[in-house]
Amino acid sequence: MVHSTISLPQRFLNWLRSWEGLLLGLFLVVLTINSALVPAYLSVSNQVNLFILFIEKSIIALMMTFIIINGEIDLSVASLMGLSAGTMARLFELGAPSGLAVAAALCLGLICGAFNGFWVTVVGLPSLVVTLAGLIAYRGLVWVLVEDRSITTLPAWLCELGQKPLIGPFPLALLLFFGFAIIGYIILQYSGFGRLVYVIGINRDVARYSGVNVRRVKMILFIASGFIASLAGLLYAARLGAMRSSTAEGFELDIITMVLLGGVSIFGGSGSLRGVFLSILIILNLRNGMGLAYLSANVQTGVIGLLLILSVLVPNLVSSLRARMVRHRELTRALEMAESS
Amino acid sequence: MRKLSTAFAILVMVSMVMALAPAAMAQGPVKATPGQAVKMVLLPKFLGNLVFDQAHEGALEAAKELQNPEPLQFLGPTPQDSVAGQIEIVTNSVTQGVDAIMLSNNAGDQIAPAAKAAREAGVTFVTWDSPIPSAEGEQVFVAQVDFNETGRVMAEMALNILGPEGGKFAVLSASPDAANQNAWIAALKEVLKEPKYSKLELLDIVYGNDISEDSYNQALALVDKYPEMKLIMAPTTIGIAAGAKALQDEGLCGVEGQEPKVVISGLGLPVEMVSYTLNGCAPQFALWSFRDLGYLTYYVTYLLATGAIKGEIGERFEAGRMGVYTIEKDPTREKGLRVLMGPFTIYDKTNVEAEAK
Repeated sequence: MVHSTISLPQRFLNWLRSWEGLLLGLFLVVLTINSALVPAYLSVSNQVNLFILFIEKSIIALMMTFIIINGEIDLSVASLMGLSAGTMARLFELGAPSGLAVAAALCLGLICGAFNGFWVTVVGLPSLVVTLAGLIAYRGLVWVLVEDRSITTLPAWLCELGQKPLIGPFPLALLLFFGFAIIGYIILQYSGFGRLVYVIGINRDVARYSGVNVRRVKMILFIASGFIASLAGLLYAARLGAMRSSTAEGFELDIITMVLLGGVSIFGGSGSLRGVFLSILIILNLRNGMGLAYLSANVQTGVIGLLLILSVLVPNLVSSLRARMVRHRELTRALEMAESS
Repeated sequence: MRKLSTAFAILVMVSMVMALAPAAMAQGPVKATPGQAVKMVLLPKFLGNLVFDQAHEGALEAAKELQNPEPLQFLGPTPQDSVAGQIEIVTNSVTQGVDAIMLSNNAGDQIAPAAKAAREAGVTFVTWDSPIPSAEGEQVFVAQVDFNETGRVMAEMALNILGPEGGKFAVLSASPDAANQNAWIAALKEVLKEPKYSKLELLDIVYGNDISEDSYNQALALVDKYPEMKLIMAPTTIGIAAGAKALQDEGLCGVEGQEPKVVISGLGLPVEMVSYTLNGCAPQFALWSFRDLGYLTYYVTYLLATGAIKGEIGERFEAGRMGVYTIEKDPTREKGLRVLMGPFTIYDKTNVEAEAK
């Protein structure tokens, strides 16, 4: 019984390490199959396209990792993407300078994030409910703003940024994604703030009684989430050169899928940005390979779904198996000791 | 050796087509040279919709006629992922080096950058069923019918069903803010002003929101509200099927030789309407054939991809069993070219069973 208290965090660490190891293995398998079977897969343009097609979701998934590890959820991100794109497009259409339109959309992201944060931290409502309301309300606002049409008059420089490479073959959004991934990794894994994100996620009440300013941390996370979502909305509109009221509808589920497959516990407190980064790589490369192999969209959805089911089952199965093996080993040792005495 | 000779034969054919093309334009419609290898992708709005499967069948029929050695790829997104999915498929198709993409656009102008990138990569890009509004990245739109024609077809069917004495009828539409529905109803009202249709009286317009239950109830409400009403006109495939079921359930469309009290007409799918047409609830309805649309789209795209036509106003070409078509300026958009398929097919007892198979 004595060493089990020592081995519990050790085992937890092992599990984390092995889950990420599994993801890495899976990624290598996908990589090998793709490059063996699909001739165009390894071309630079395809490698860039593969990220660009899902880049906005990937950027938000990095932020969502913080939120879910913290024990919360933000379902309003996709609606906020639409609202931000709609605000920018509508303002620009009405004659506002392009810089002002973009800044206003980003500010609106901060405000909506703070609005979500207010209800969660000050009023104390569950984030599932608050951001579900946000999902509906922000989308409703887009419909009021844009109605049943598409806006194609977007700032030319914004579309240029969204559609043309900025450095080498890489467009802005791709550079932002890798930048955010590195910054996010450092903050979450090596900073005091990152540790607070975990501590609160493991047990909110214990954290509060230990003097952690839980409200402040959560508020910062929701504001950041709002900002990142509105930035992603602008990037999406810029990439497509147009927006509609339905822009980015339903993206939140894909984003949460990326995070959960990365080994982040939906109950908070565990997971890492490394795992989520790997999971993004797996999903993107898998979709790309299946798409290039002309697999039907229904099959693709099925495969990703299967992957998610496995990602929920395997860790549970592994930990219960391991517990049984430990018990078995202890039992045999006890028997041996009994026999020798 | 065999490969080499095939390649040579193709080369000869291509150069022949190129040499003949200007002459052919001056003389008559351009004809396709069968047997050329063109990698083509048919991209519907989403998978799992019957009408797109019919378009796929039509495209396969054309592919067989044209003896294209490359198989036709039928790739579509899931309904929940239609916009991003269509963009993804276009982008991946370019990576795969396809020669031509045929798109039923569900992404509005949001598909334009991907379509333009495809054009820059030398891919032939044709839309069908639903165009790119700005026409950016699109060479030609193959339009099913002239949307203004819809009003006339509805008035014509009403007159056919009610007879020269005419009568009173109501419209069961989808939703109050569906742009195409409103355009069709406006066109119908315009046509009703003509002396030929003066005996037709439009009582009311109601909306079933393209939900079966709502449409069913709205049809029954119309029957209760207007005892003198003889016909419901539903320019929506969901509305007409639900309305027909309502009339049938209430025994309003003539049981066992009785004179029908109220019947329904409009735009419907033969496979969904066949029983109502045979039992008299929906004696006549109209739709364009999606099979023909797929067939014509394949021909247009094949001709463009092989260089037989260039995609310019006034070019005439032959599309197999469907005859000769001309590329024209699309009057419904600011920019863009179209090939107008038309006309409507009117279905009744004589032809509905064959189409519903």
